[in-house]
Amino acid sequence: MSKSTVENNMYGVLAEFRNPKELVDAAKKINQNGYKKYDTFSPFPIHGIDKAMNLPKSKLGWIVVSHGLVGLIGSFAMIYFMMVADYPLNISGKTLLNIPAWIPVIFELTVLLSAFGAVFGMFFLNGLPKFNHPLFNSENFKKATDDGFFVCIESDDPQFDVEKVQTLLKDAGGTNIEEIYDN
Amino acid sequence: MSKTYEYVPEPALVKGNHDFKSLTALITDINMRPTPKGWYIAFGISNILLFVLLFSIGYLIWEGTGIWGLNAPAGWGWAIINFVWWVGIGHAGTLISAILFLFRQDWRTAINRFAEAMTIFAVMCAGIFPAIHVGRIWVIYWVFPLPNQMAMWPNFNSPLLWDVFAVSTYFTVSLLFWYVGLVPDLATIRDRIKSKMGKVLYGTFALGWRGSNRHWWNYEKSYMILAGLATPLVLSVHTIVSFDFAVSLIPGWHTTIFPPYFVAGAVFSGFAMVLTLMIIVRKIYGLEEIMTVDHIEKMNIIIMVTGSMVGFAYLMEFFVAWYSGVEYEKAIFILRATGPYAWAYWIMITCNVISPQVFWSKKLRRNVAFTFFISIVVNIGMWFERFVIAVTSLSTDFLPSSWGYYSPTFWDVITYVGTFGLFFTFFLLFLRFLPMVAVAEIKAILPQADPHNYDENGEYDPPKVEIPEPVKDSEQKG
Amino acid sequence: MSDQSNQTTFWKSLNELAKNKEYEKYAEREFPENATEMTDQVSRRSFLRVMGASIALAGFASCRKPVQKILPYTKQPEDLVLGEPNFYATSMPFQDTVTGLLVENNEGRPTKLEGNDQHPASGGRTNIYNQAGILNLYDPDRSRSPRRNGESASKNDFVQFASEHFSDRNRNILFVSEANSSPTYNRVKENALQTFSNANWVTFEPFNDDNAIEGTNIAFGQRLRTVNHFDTADVVVSLNDDFMSPFGHKNSVENAYKLTSRRKVNNTDDSMSRIYSVENSFTSTGSYADHRLRLKTSEIEPFTYALASRLSESVSGLGAFNNVSNNFTNHEWVDKLAEDLLSNQGNSIVSLGFDHSSVAHAAVAAINSALNNAGNTVTYHEIPYYGEQHQTEAFLEAIEEIKAGVYDTVVLIGTNPAYSAPSDLDFEAALGNVDTKIHLSDYYDETSRIADWHLNRAHFLEAWGDGLSYTGQRSVIQPQILPLYDGLSEIEFLNTIVSGEESVGYDLVQETWSSYFSSNFNQNWETVLHDGVDPNSGFNSVSVSLRSGFASDIRPNLNAEPISGMEITIKPDATLFDGRFANNGWLQELPEPMTKITWDNVALMSPSTAESLGLPPEQSFKSNDVPTVRISAGDATIEIAAWVLPGHADNSITLTAGYGRNNLGRVADGVGVDVYPLRTSEAMFNQPASVERTGSVYEIACVQDHNNIEGRDMVREATLEEYRENPDFATYKSIHGYEVPGIKEAKAEGDDRGPISLFEEQYGPDYQPQWGMAIDLNACFGCGVCTIACQAENNIPVIGKREVGRRRIMHWIRTDRYFEGDRDNPKVYHQPVPCMHCEMAPCEQVCPVAATTHSEDGMNQMTYNRCIGTRYCANNCPFKVRRFNFFNYTKEYLTTGDDPEIIQMAMNPDVTVRFRGVIEKCSYCVQRVNSAKIKSKIATGSKKPEDGAVQTACQQACPANAITFGDLTDQNSVVSQHKQNDRNYVMLEEMNVRPRTSYLAKLRNTNSELA
Repeated sequence: MSKSTVENNMYGVLAEFRNPKELVDAAKKINQNGYKKYDTFSPFPIHGIDKAMNLPKSKLGWIVVSHGLVGLIGSFAMIYFMMVADYPLNISGKTLLNIPAWIPVIFELTVLLSAFGAVFGMFFLNGLPKFNHPLFNSENFKKATDDGFFVCIESDDPQFDVEKVQTLLKDAGGTNIEEIYDN
Repeated sequence: MSKTYEYVPEPALVKGNHDFKSLTALITDINMRPTPKGWYIAFGISNILLFVLLFSIGYLIWEGTGIWGLNAPAGWGWAIINFVWWVGIGHAGTLISAILFLFRQDWRTAINRFAEAMTIFAVMCAGIFPAIHVGRIWVIYWVFPLPNQMAMWPNFNSPLLWDVFAVSTYFTVSLLFWYVGLVPDLATIRDRIKSKMGKVLYGTFALGWRGSNRHWWNYEKSYMILAGLATPLVLSVHTIVSFDFAVSLIPGWHTTIFPPYFVAGAVFSGFAMVLTLMIIVRKIYGLEEIMTVDHIEKMNIIIMVTGSMVGFAYLMEFFVAWYSGVEYEKAIFILRATGPYAWAYWIMITCNVISPQVFWSKKLRRNVAFTFFISIVVNIGMWFERFVIAVTSLSTDFLPSSWGYYSPTFWDVITYVGTFGLFFTFFLLFLRFLPMVAVAEIKAILPQADPHNYDENGEYDPPKVEIPEPVKDSEQKG
Repeated sequence: MSDQSNQTTFWKSLNELAKNKEYEKYAEREFPENATEMTDQVSRRSFLRVMGASIALAGFASCRKPVQKILPYTKQPEDLVLGEPNFYATSMPFQDTVTGLLVENNEGRPTKLEGNDQHPASGGRTNIYNQAGILNLYDPDRSRSPRRNGESASKNDFVQFASEHFSDRNRNILFVSEANSSPTYNRVKENALQTFSNANWVTFEPFNDDNAIEGTNIAFGQRLRTVNHFDTADVVVSLNDDFMSPFGHKNSVENAYKLTSRRKVNNTDDSMSRIYSVENSFTSTGSYADHRLRLKTSEIEPFTYALASRLSESVSGLGAFNNVSNNFTNHEWVDKLAEDLLSNQGNSIVSLGFDHSSVAHAAVAAINSALNNAGNTVTYHEIPYYGEQHQTEAFLEAIEEIKAGVYDTVVLIGTNPAYSAPSDLDFEAALGNVDTKIHLSDYYDETSRIADWHLNRAHFLEAWGDGLSYTGQRSVIQPQILPLYDGLSEIEFLNTIVSGEESVGYDLVQETWSSYFSSNFNQNWETVLHDGVDPNSGFNSVSVSLRSGFASDIRPNLNAEPISGMEITIKPDATLFDGRFANNGWLQELPEPMTKITWDNVALMSPSTAESLGLPPEQSFKSNDVPTVRISAGDATIEIAAWVLPGHADNSITLTAGYGRNNLGRVADGVGVDVYPLRTSEAMFNQPASVERTGSVYEIACVQDHNNIEGRDMVREATLEEYRENPDFATYKSIHGYEVPGIKEAKAEGDDRGPISLFEEQYGPDYQPQWGMAIDLNACFGCGVCTIACQAENNIPVIGKREVGRRRIMHWIRTDRYFEGDRDNPKVYHQPVPCMHCEMAPCEQVCPVAATTHSEDGMNQMTYNRCIGTRYCANNCPFKVRRFNFFNYTKEYLTTGDDPEIIQMAMNPDVTVRFRGVIEKCSYCVQRVNSAKIKSKIATGSKKPEDGAVQTACQQACPANAITFGDLTDQNSVVSQHKQNDRNYVMLEEMNVRPRTSYLAKLRNTNSELA
């Protein structure tokens, strides 16, 4: 394990927990102790941990809605331009502004844009892709995608202090506590 | 007289006492252990078929649409039938991953991953046909609203154009949905795989996922929204496919029942296809504990229900034709059952309406081998449904003078057969290199995943199921 | 270019030489390269590979491009504007008649033939042979050079040979000519007979009107031509006489337009003539008749005598037939016909098919004179050129003389006896006794092959000539283009033989005509050239009376017994006639009017006869395979596909000639079965035969697989009485008993244009004109000329039997034919179906790329360049009028082969040719419409041409005037008038697609007493 040096500053302290319950409890505890810059890691989403960590409501909904609106208005505008404004044609004697016939395409494009919003918005909010991360330096952390449950309190938390944090995590039942460095 | 009631607990979704680690291993080891010989054989065969497809398409482009059996009354034949059939099959994947998700059907997690994969590959197969069935394939891009030398735009009144948008949207969204689900599992493999190459590839596609619960928080939201979007989408897609027929004025096509009827049929055939694949896969890869007989039974029930819906639709068509009093409408339905294509019609009825009814029997719907057989029968039946719809109406429509019999040529057949090459080539690659079960999701439905299943000192302590005393209904009344 | 060029062969490239090899191989029917569609030898998909391949066949003729000899203009002719076609009058000879035509000539390239309305035989109308004539001109399979013993020679060689050979004026020469009415030709013929004292001249036509003429001889003692004036007759009795069809009567066009003119009904006060048809096979005329009786061919004559006998009771002059009794004496029809004829004395017509015996014709002549029709509705005329002898008999005698070695030289002109002469003559062997055989013909045909000299004949559009119409109007034939293959006209040919030097047709014709005009020849000549016909000409009609001794002569012949058991009847083919049009792709692919069969001949029989032979009584819907039968008569046997024709007489089989050719041309070869072997000098027409099924099948390409109208209202019909009682019989309401759904609702909203609709339609914009068409089903008799005219006008490719068999026929206008009722005596409906040009066209809205849209003048238009070929429009067309280019038909048609330029010359420059993968369909001849609009804009400033300024190709060709087309915004236009007619209706009115093409319901003027 690398020691703290001038050029290699600490990212945070990582602790492993046995199971979802302990992780949730630990999260609660850390939260009560007023830590802000920390995160918990698990191979699957854990029911109720959002309250434990007191996570803010996700902004994803708004991103999706805005995309959806763009799809809705944009597609209508496009069809109107093509069928009515730019190149009007007498097709089966139908009126040029034949909205009922446009609904399917408008609907599809709205859904498509919304889906883009939902997926890329999520990646954006999660700051992904991010191929390199200090946590990947920890061999033990690999379990996070298998059966490991981890908490990491980050060094740039205002009230961060290595000893305090380590004891806190130990008390919460954390094991294999280790310090994580940027590289 | 007195009745006794018995409490039947919901059976565990994952059989055998698996923990997180063993599940991870069970599923992802498949991708990391050396390629089995059997896979190479299957892949080889699929590749041969794939080349058959490419060749027949090449020849089609070289010679012209005339190599198919199409003629003056029947401007559409196998190509469109196959298109509708494949798209229909695709629907099961989205249905399982989206609709069952919204309905909180946790059992879906065992099969949604490869059902979605199936969707994507099926839609690819489907997409080929509308593209190659046109007379001038080299200008097919005119169906997209692109500026061109004619300064013309596509015609947004045309159901075929709606199709273009519906199918391409459907494909894109399914792909995104599938990928979003894959990211955490790719990360799992990234962290377990030994080979450098593997690390790089899986690492790249995992996008640096590290299981952060702040991420899971947005992730679940996104997944929920996608499910919410995919649900109306999947319904709209087959609705629009059915518009290709319903919006025209050909007798037997021009019916408002088509959208629901097509969607039901799509789910019907899709589930059958999922079963066909699943029954093979679970055997070969020893996933019986994840894809359990309970799953098969649940799906068989859906097949039975949708099959009956389809059967009901067939009846309604006849009723409405009679009730409408439109002579051409009446004529076409009588012709379907008794005319030159009666053989196809009765194959359809037997496979789609009669065969699924056997699943009223619990014994049969839990019988894996029998289910496999029925799943094949249903897919044959659904192909014939599209055949009956597309061909009979065209070949015997309004003017008796222009009636004509349609029969396929050699090229129609091998093009269709070829698409299985395309489908299985991709499907085998998927089985080989991607986790065929959603690891993260299936872990999440283990009892161990629920914090409430632990006692205060953090020991696993699953809830005991209490079976109450049988109660006399006399007491119950009181 | 000099004449040597004919002997030499220029290769454009080695490749081409190689290609020729390929074609020779193809000719041997080996499996051709890269042509999966041609795996069957009957395939005609590569029609042009076929048409263009001729060089390989025609001996290596020159690659001279006729185009180069005509264009470009070194000096601009004043009467010619590039891009503007010129129209010239000419006439098309057919046997010994001509039909006046106007030729559309684009920069010296004739592209379309129309009728000449100043010409009585045409009246501005045409038949299928006239329309297809243009394709014969550009047929690369026509013989391209003279041949001496099969080796290519030059015209000069022949002239040299002729001058030497015929310098001996005492040669025993036999001239065998086809029937020809040309005054010039007959003048030269007389010269010939004078010059060569030992010469004999006979005429041979496998199908001719000798018996009719002989009949008048028996009846009146004069050889006369019978002319029926159908426009003045109230009752017409056709005894096995298909006088409306071009193959049934050489004056069909005049007959058709005159007969139908008598059946045009505009309101309930109008009357129409009544037609009875007694016939063996089901013919167009029979289907058009108000009453039809099916009898075996051999029963027709007894029936005729029975009718005469019945009439003799009431009118004088038929004593010869007094109490003649046979099976038909008490036939219901005999009485009813007699009544109707008697009550219409002086304005009725009894006509008999040409092929029936001269005795029967004499009987008919007697009937007509007894009924006082002679001189009124039936006139008799002297034919100047017609000899004193029965021509076929003369021919038969001449053959005997040949066998006896009487002749050292035989000159055959146009005719092709080696193919079509009665089989018992063994013409080929007979000709062996002759030292010198000279043959002039269009193709290097069966006779050419056994001749020492073959001369290639010039097409009638290539050479000067003249001729007489059926009624004797002198008409000129003026060339439209230099001979493509440097051929000789029969006049030039004959005169070369007489004079020993190459002759110029123009001079010969002028020489003849100079005698017609006493004064200022040039002016008269110009006039005739302009009009195409000399109005003050025509055969003198003679007043006739039965000759004494008629009775005694005819009496012994009246007890002719019908053939008991199976009989066969051999008729000319509906599209190929006697085989002269066998290499014409348009005609080969034109559905036969009654059977709708293309590319083949069949043995027609009634359903019951089929059953008695152990064959299915109706055609299979699922398969093109048709059972074949073995027919033996005399010592000849053929195997041919059996086709069930409802309404055909029982125990009778009808066969058509003209098929089964070898090495004639790429189109003709291997198509159908040659039935001439069954034909003997005793039995040219009708004979007993034994028929059995073979058990094998043969593929037939039929364009209509379902013949029953299924009780649908596509065709609406009433009798004249019913119409008078209920003029609205054809409306949707009177057919179905209720209004079109949605009409009331629409009316309530003040919309009278059709049923109520979801949309605010843009109905025919304020723009004028708005085009529409009306088709009078009471005039149409299903001849199919509209189809060929359309094909010629709109550059529609020929796709071949295989593709037709796959139901991919490309015709823009088809004629649907429905049978209704009892399979033995069905009613038949003919219904021409072009694009309906629906105002709310269902095809338009479904096209994803807007390739088919509506024009401001109300036409449904195809944008070929935009079409991607989804075929959705074709599916969604309720009338199934849209056609798809499944393969690159046009390319095959126009660019395959080693000199495609020839067939390319037949194309109409005003119409786009369509490429693979696009939809095409009837355009209402938009090119004609627009040029008329432009002309009118220039002339009057208005884009609204006056009525009649635009004629669609189908309309212009129709001999029955069934089709009217014009501006619907002009209330006085004929088409508007028709659409206001109470018989006017549209198909599928309840679909609310609002077709612009409507129909006038059919009427039958039935005899109430003859149920």
